[in-house]
Amino acid sequence: MNGAKQVFVAKGISRIYTMGDVKVHALRNVSFGIETGEYLAIMGPSGSGKSTLMHIMGCLDRPSSGSLYLKGEPIDSLSDAELAEIRNTEIGFVFQSFNLLPNMNILENVELPLLYGGVPAPERLARAKQVLKAVGLQDRLHHRPSEISGGQRQRAAIARALANRPSIVLADEPTGNLDTATGKEIMELFDELNLRGNTIILVTHEREVADHASRIIYIKDGQIEYIEKRVEV
Amino acid sequence: MNLVEFMKIALFSLSANKLRTALSLLGIVIGVASVITMVALGTGAQEQVASQIGAMGSNLITVSPGFIRGGGGRVSQDVADIFTLELATAIKSTSPFIKHVAPTSETTALAIYSGTNIRTRVVGITPEYKEVINHYPLVGRYIRDSDVDNSEKVAVLGSEVALDLFGAENPVGQKIRLIIGERRHTLTIIGVMEPKGQVMMSNYDNRIYVPITMLINRGLTTRYVDGYSIEAVSKDVAKAAVKDVEAFMTRVLKDPDRFRVMSQDTILETVSQATSTMTLLLGSVASIALLVGGIGIMNIMLVTVSERTREIGIRKAVGAKRKHILAQFLLEAILVSVCGGLLGLGVGWGGGYLISNSMGWPFAFSLPAVVIAIGFAACVGLFFGIYPAMKAASMDPVEALGYE
Ligand SMILES: Nc1ncnc2c1ncn2[C@@H]1O[C@H](COP(=O)(O)OP(=O)(O)OP(=O)(O)O)[C@@H](O)[C@H]1O
Ligand SMILES: [Mg+2]
Repeated sequence: MNGAKQVFVAKGISRIYTMGDVKVHALRNVSFGIETGEYLAIMGPSGSGKSTLMHIMGCLDRPSSGSLYLKGEPIDSLSDAELAEIRNTEIGFVFQSFNLLPNMNILENVELPLLYGGVPAPERLARAKQVLKAVGLQDRLHHRPSEISGGQRQRAAIARALANRPSIVLADEPTGNLDTATGKEIMELFDELNLRGNTIILVTHEREVADHASRIIYIKDGQIEYIEKRVEV
Repeated sequence: MNLVEFMKIALFSLSANKLRTALSLLGIVIGVASVITMVALGTGAQEQVASQIGAMGSNLITVSPGFIRGGGGRVSQDVADIFTLELATAIKSTSPFIKHVAPTSETTALAIYSGTNIRTRVVGITPEYKEVINHYPLVGRYIRDSDVDNSEKVAVLGSEVALDLFGAENPVGQKIRLIIGERRHTLTIIGVMEPKGQVMMSNYDNRIYVPITMLINRGLTTRYVDGYSIEAVSKDVAKAAVKDVEAFMTRVLKDPDRFRVMSQDTILETVSQATSTMTLLLGSVASIALLVGGIGIMNIMLVTVSERTREIGIRKAVGAKRKHILAQFLLEAILVSVCGGLLGLGVGWGGGYLISNSMGWPFAFSLPAVVIAIGFAACVGLFFGIYPAMKAASMDPVEALGYE
């Protein structure tokens, strides 16, 4: 195991949600490693803990026990502000429901991570435009999220995730709200990103989507059921 | 991120919900406007009082009988007996700081001239009185020593009395009749005073001046006067003069409760104390309005924060730190309260101007009140914004995004 080569190393992480007296074990003692530049899919039944795991890797949440290492650094010792900085610069997170701000246009939405990253205004605008062009939305800059299609919304969300040039892209069911054809287009974007060296980790229910990845982790009841290594074609 | 960018975000959020912003603005506008108006009116009243006291003559001291306990507010006889014309001379010689002592006596009378009659105050005076209260005749002449010596039946009219009785006619040389008590007197007008207007409680233009001897000997048939108006040599020695007069009166009357010596300073102090208490009171009542406005901001902010939970989650997910969210919401609250403060300043200024104009008061626009009101408004925004903003900033990103 080479720590420097792996983007994520999970050592016995658990996540327990406490709701009153009830304790929900969303993750139970999960350990794995993810290589730099890997294309990974996570599959599993509903409620198995996929999103919980993604949130922890996305530095949006912390494990209840166990440690997660990001590029060899343990993240449990980091402050909230440091986690925010990692979310801003290291990781791009794509949600199933897009999570764009409805009052802002696409351009402003994509500028948001650059704004919090302290990128000065002119450069911010240029970079947001450039990344929107890369996902094919150069004609929709001033549209609100409600004024474009679902596929375009997900492209915008991907553009936002990519704006600060993160090396890792996490996507929780990125095609879950899209029809098959649109889903395919979105997957082409992820394929392209992976080819350019980004680490891609995505959660999906669809086999065809998971087939884009080089490795699939199956999760059930908060535990890794098995790992399928796919042969590169 | 710099302040301008935070400002943009705050303005953006505020303009996204205009009605809500307008409502929270309104609370602050009303609060600040009432503070500004109340304090301006109070200060205006204070300034008016001060200028009126100044107009009475700069070094004025008055001596009047004290009210004896159990006397039912009436001047007891033995005290009155001592308040004689002769005492005026005695008082003057008691202190080197006294310039003039003018004994006065006052009553109400009916004044009649060719079918017109008016009820007016008749004031018995000596020639010194004009210097003491700083009020001079405009037409004709004032009361002279010889008028006083001979209890001469002459009168000087206040400007309003002259107008009421004579209209455009020149009163000097005419005769009027005065009915004082049961008696009628015919007096020759020798002069008309310059207009002086309302000063404190008394209207100096609605008076008729007669020689004091004429009033007490012929009119009231007593031996005593109502009191003495004294002019100190200068403002600086007014206090010393008061001391001397007090010492003298205590010696004569053997009881400091039987007379009252008031100087312009003491009147000014008493009155301005009363008006500044009033200003403070009005100001604090108005501050409550501002406080209520602040609570309004907090209320609306809390609703906003819970409504924008998802937005906060999204911002945090893309890298916003606690301080970014805190600054955004705090800035929104402060922006609302400062804008409300500025608007309230305009409204309060206009309102205060209108009210004081219609009441004939001077309008005092006090800079401290403005600074305090705006500063207070900003503090209100900060204070009532901090809790909702902290609530927003401390949200857990995953929870805020909503369970998916
Ligand atoms: N905030 C929470 N509070 C309480 N329980 C939670 C919370 N979030 C998740 N859970 C529970 O944790 C378990 C795992 O949830 P998670 O969202 O990770 O599942 P998932 O695999 O993403 O499911 P899906 O495929 O439906 O998205 C579930 O049983 C869920 O009820
Ligand atoms: Mg999920």
